[in-house]
Amino acid sequence: MSAQARPAAEIRPHATDKGKSQWLLKYSTLIALVILFLGFALTVDRFLTTSNLLNIVQQISMLTIVGAGLTFGFGAKEMDLSVGYTVGLTGILVPLMLISGVPLPLALLGGTAAGFAVGAVNSMLVTLIGIPSLIATLATGSILYGLNFMTTGGRAIYGGLPDTYLWLGQGQFLGIPVLAYAMVLFVLLAWFLMERTIFGRYIYAVGGNLKAAELSGVNGRFYRSAALVVCSLFAAVAGMLLAARLGSGQPNAGERYLLDGLATVFIGMTMIRPGTATVIGTFFGALFIGVINNGLNLIGMDTYIQSIVKGLIILVAVAIVSRTTKLRLL
Amino acid sequence: MSVRLSGITMQYPGTRALDHVDADFTFHEVHGLIGENGAGKTTLVSILGGSKQPTEGTLYINDAKAELTSAGDALRKGIAHVSQEGSLVASLSGAQNILLGDEPRNRLGIIDKRRLEKRAADLMAHWFPDVSINLSEPVEYLPMADQKVIEIVRALRGDIKLLILDEPTATLPAREKENLWRIIRSLPKRGVGVVLISHFLSEVKALSDRITVLRDGRHITTLPAPEVTEAQLVDLMLQRSGQATSQQAIHEQRPFGPVVLQLSSWKVGGVEVDGLILREGEILGLIGLTGAGHFGFARSLYTGEGFISGTTLFRGKSVPNLSARIMKANGVAFIPDQRMENSLIGDWDVRENLAMVHPARGALGKTGILSPVREETHARNAMSLFNVKAHSSAQKIRDLSGGNKQKVSIGKWLYGTPDRYNLMIFVEPTEGVDIGAKREIHRHLKRMASEGAAIIVASSDLMEIAEISDRVIPFVSSRAGPEIERAAFSESRFIAAMAGVTL
Repeated sequence: MSAQARPAAEIRPHATDKGKSQWLLKYSTLIALVILFLGFALTVDRFLTTSNLLNIVQQISMLTIVGAGLTFGFGAKEMDLSVGYTVGLTGILVPLMLISGVPLPLALLGGTAAGFAVGAVNSMLVTLIGIPSLIATLATGSILYGLNFMTTGGRAIYGGLPDTYLWLGQGQFLGIPVLAYAMVLFVLLAWFLMERTIFGRYIYAVGGNLKAAELSGVNGRFYRSAALVVCSLFAAVAGMLLAARLGSGQPNAGERYLLDGLATVFIGMTMIRPGTATVIGTFFGALFIGVINNGLNLIGMDTYIQSIVKGLIILVAVAIVSRTTKLRLL
Repeated sequence: MSVRLSGITMQYPGTRALDHVDADFTFHEVHGLIGENGAGKTTLVSILGGSKQPTEGTLYINDAKAELTSAGDALRKGIAHVSQEGSLVASLSGAQNILLGDEPRNRLGIIDKRRLEKRAADLMAHWFPDVSINLSEPVEYLPMADQKVIEIVRALRGDIKLLILDEPTATLPAREKENLWRIIRSLPKRGVGVVLISHFLSEVKALSDRITVLRDGRHITTLPAPEVTEAQLVDLMLQRSGQATSQQAIHEQRPFGPVVLQLSSWKVGGVEVDGLILREGEILGLIGLTGAGHFGFARSLYTGEGFISGTTLFRGKSVPNLSARIMKANGVAFIPDQRMENSLIGDWDVRENLAMVHPARGALGKTGILSPVREETHARNAMSLFNVKAHSSAQKIRDLSGGNKQKVSIGKWLYGTPDRYNLMIFVEPTEGVDIGAKREIHRHLKRMASEGAAIIVASSDLMEIAEISDRVIPFVSSRAGPEIERAAFSESRFIAAMAGVTL
């Protein structure tokens, strides 16, 4: 059957109009990003240099990984507000283990396990007890924050970290930072899982219409849990990389990854499939945040101005999405 | 002193819900409005109540041309609509509900509780002096009939000339109905006309002065109630002459296979079913009035929701724990009612929706990795099998017409290599679907039965049930009644059985 040959009268008339505005919407963020990039390139001397561009990539790599994880949560309509503190948790746990003589592979495995544990607790609170994820993860985040400070006494952990570990965060391979490879690896992994596997399809399904998914035989509880576990796992990876980049474990280093991570997802939701969090969208969202942070830094703008700018960007992104699609987060 | 409709037409994409309907509703009568589901009653009263605007036609209030832009606008012009579902705030008292949005306030702008209760009581006493309802209790603790009365009083608090009551007694137990009937009868004497929609024909006949019959969106007739019998009303609603019998004649007897499903002493929610047997190739119809429990039963058979006790033998094996996943693994398909809520994902395109039940069929081997090429092939096949009309498989589900959405909702169970289901359960398979799509869906149901699936169809469309079923179980007040064999099918038999009357 040629579906295209059907008379147009049988199909809702405004479908094509909507197509046009959706097209504009899909690309407006990308256009804004290009303008922003060109703007900084023309006005700020040190912006368009190889070293600065590599610097941007390094700066956004952890953020991108956190955002990619959050994309799974958003796909299932579950919010994880504990990611920032999960970043902090593994960022101190792994250095602590390394300093006390645990071999690197084992320490990384330990960090991953810690991330999994956080995700497991979050998802049990959400799917077994029934606490909305927004609230459950707000609370677990607060608990993690306390634990992070308790473990370290509020002090940074440094000295005696193995070179291989530091190489992950600071080294280069073929002239490109190792962090960039890590970012690409995790973005590809997340993209593949979300777009090309049944696992990802079902995560989007429980987020799109939980009842319909369950009546189609999908295990709603499992996929909602899985989405939260992936959020924590990706945050755990970001935390381990962050400590390697900083060369030390700092209890409050992860905090900004919550707001920035959410911002990347929100910005990403304006493109590709407007209203839906996608991995590629999130990647561009992170690029957006990275370019702004870096550009404003070079201009010498204070960090609190950056914070205001970011807040405004989140508002604009969410406004665009909510005005044009039926955005429901809870 | 009337509201008159002239040439009212309501065109939806792919469906014409109303086709040049003329009718008038006076302010001194109870006017019954009857018709099958999908005949256009709800659309007509939505237009009358201002919540929908017709695509064509004119509305006159007291012979002056009028336009109703919203429900609020209709209220200001004297027309109130009390919907079927109930619109009270459960946790508020009767008085608070009656004056909701119009509470008396003191000088500080704070709600004056004493005046509120006084005014609500006055309104109640004004309209229904011989009714006593506790107005200070949260309405959720009141009997359903009292809640209905409170809704009616709230509707009447403005200067209302025409009151639309949509299935006011559908959810009421029999003994609570009579009070409400008296209340409805008392309104025309006080200058308030009533438009009454009800599935209970005896009720419509007893309460109404005139009755209007709609069928397939057309105005069939308007008759004085005393001049027509219930049986004649059924005939008018269904147009039984000719068409129905010819359909009955072409119904081919399929050979039934081994027993697929056997239920004994089933209790689920408040519903009881004892001794149900279903064979391969058989289509079993479930009928009942609103709230009779047949929809819930059909759903629980797949999901296990509300299951209390009973034995379920599935192909001779006992299934102790029912759940959607277990039943799906047993080869059961469930196509629910309210497809946008229960079955489809509006944001997704046709292809993704079709792939939802069996995504593995669009995957590479057993890897769980989706192949866009395979998915597209399967989606196109399912679309052509069910004649889904869309620009392409990438069109969003939300932008399809009701009939095409429903075809996707069924088609998703047959995506990929369509296998044979042991049991397929349908609830309202043609809800809000135009006549062409309806015929196609019926054809598919029969085809799937002849391929060996046992099929259960719960529907409020009696014509549909009569056309496709081999047997019918009527549900009355949460109980499965005695079965009706195909040879004994007739609309009057169905209607009597749903009302718990044996002919």
